Amino acid sequence: MTELQQRLSTGRGKFTPDYPDLGTGPVDYEDSISPEFFAAEREAVFKRSWLYVGRSERLPRPGTFFTRELPGLASIVIARRRDGTVNAFHNVCAHRGNKVVWQEHPQQESKGSCREFACKYHGWRYGLDGRVTHVTNEQEFFGLDKDSLRMPPVHCEEFAGFIFVNLSDDPVPLRSYLGDRLLELEAYPFHEMTQHYGFSAPIRGNWKLAVDSVCEWYHPPYVHARFIAKDIAQAEKLVPPVDAYHYDLFTPHMLTSVPGPPPLPPREPGTAGPAQRDQIWVYKLFRAGLFGPDDVPDIGPLPGFLNKGNIRSWGNDQFWLFPNLSVQIWARGFYITYTYWPQAVDQHTYDIDMYFVPPKNAQERLAQELVVDSTIEFAMQDVNTIEATQMGLSTRANQHFHLSDQELLIRKFHKTVRDTVTAHQTRSAEKEG
Amino acid sequence: MPSTATSLPAPFTDLEPWVADWARPTRQERYDMRLSKTFDELAAFYDAIAPRAEEAIEHLNALDLNDLDDDATRLLRLLYSMILVSYAVNVFHQPRIPDSGSAFFTTTAEPAV
Repeated sequence: MTELQQRLSTGRGKFTPDYPDLGTGPVDYEDSISPEFFAAEREAVFKRSWLYVGRSERLPRPGTFFTRELPGLASIVIARRRDGTVNAFHNVCAHRGNKVVWQEHPQQESKGSCREFACKYHGWRYGLDGRVTHVTNEQEFFGLDKDSLRMPPVHCEEFAGFIFVNLSDDPVPLRSYLGDRLLELEAYPFHEMTQHYGFSAPIRGNWKLAVDSVCEWYHPPYVHARFIAKDIAQAEKLVPPVDAYHYDLFTPHMLTSVPGPPPLPPREPGTAGPAQRDQIWVYKLFRAGLFGPDDVPDIGPLPGFLNKGNIRSWGNDQFWLFPNLSVQIWARGFYITYTYWPQAVDQHTYDIDMYFVPPKNAQERLAQELVVDSTIEFAMQDVNTIEATQMGLSTRANQHFHLSDQELLIRKFHKTVRDTVTAHQTRSAEKEG
Repeated sequence: MPSTATSLPAPFTDLEPWVADWARPTRQERYDMRLSKTFDELAAFYDAIAPRAEEAIEHLNALDLNDLDDDATRLLRLLYSMILVSYAVNVFHQPRIPDSGSAFFTTTAEPAV
């Protein structure tokens, strides 16, 4: 081991044997290539789980709203009512099914502020709660029960400024779904981080393979080699040892904690030294890197729910909120959400949203730009691996695959999805039986 | 307009030749520009702006970030472009990320400044 690796090593030993129901044997990836499984997963997982649709800062006042297109699931409106609460409803007119809220392109999402929503087709209007308020030429209809007419409601709850919807008829409350470990996130000052940078990419791969690509720390010396060192043998020596990470499972959710470099010490302006064609010099100049800015904003003491594994030189905690959201909280005072929206068995949309405390000056703004650009350059490297994996898996030339201890969360995540599908199918069969 | 006209703050008029390509207002436009250039063109821009970067940061730091005039805004955008180009010049030694295929993240939200 290198000096860095010795310093970070814990001698912890393997994590996977702590979870005997996971086993340690080979796995298959039918759940990522089978169209039948994809259809079953949509029913069992996506139509019955709480799904994150946006931050509450997107709805700063009563009357503000945004729409979401959830592929294969729903087209919805999320709006803040006059009483300040947030609610959601299907974006479908009670008259003849027209999509009510859109601008310019019906396929695209929109946002805005209004007192009422008016259908573009025949002028029916709806309040901020989705109930009909006006039927054009009402007297021309036959026995309309106007009080019951509405854009159909969708269960919607907020937690720590994260807005979730649930498309099932009778979901468990959001807080019960999240559980005690995730409820601790409420102690984090997400609301102070309003400086938002958002990105989206279409990916020709199963959404779970994208999750896999960022919940193990086995790949960086290879996928991201050029960022670490000029040759791979050197890169392998510069990454933390396998036992420097921390994993935790609280089904259906899970966590990985990652070590990271400490911020550079403060320096006087003008001391970055002569320009070099060297990225280390660029990091020093702008005082930032992949792990965040070197000048960390004051957001108060670190809440106790972070770095519970007490890993040395802590870099971030990545909370996986089942099924398709990750909230990654960084030691240097910012957070990232990763969201995965499946479109087909081999296609999904990958959204990355980064949130910082608003910068006080140009130097802080530039440091954020460097963190953002670094994150996306890394993410683009991950994306291609996902597409290449999908191509390999879909041939079924190999059908048994091997997961190391570092890939604990992959083993767990796929099992959770499969178990959720099986449980739903069992319940459905019992109902029919 | 006289040939000495510049669209950058006074101490940085020598960077004027880079404004047309690299003082673009959106990240998408800056990334498109990176991909449209050869490595040598990216390296020439990097080599021109990198030695002036720390002085530019100091100049901009003395101003209110939320009330920058157009000249200062262009200088800030040159620095955003320097960051975006730095990966191509220093990390990948080519304009595109190697093996990146057709992968691309579109920008869905970015600050006004």
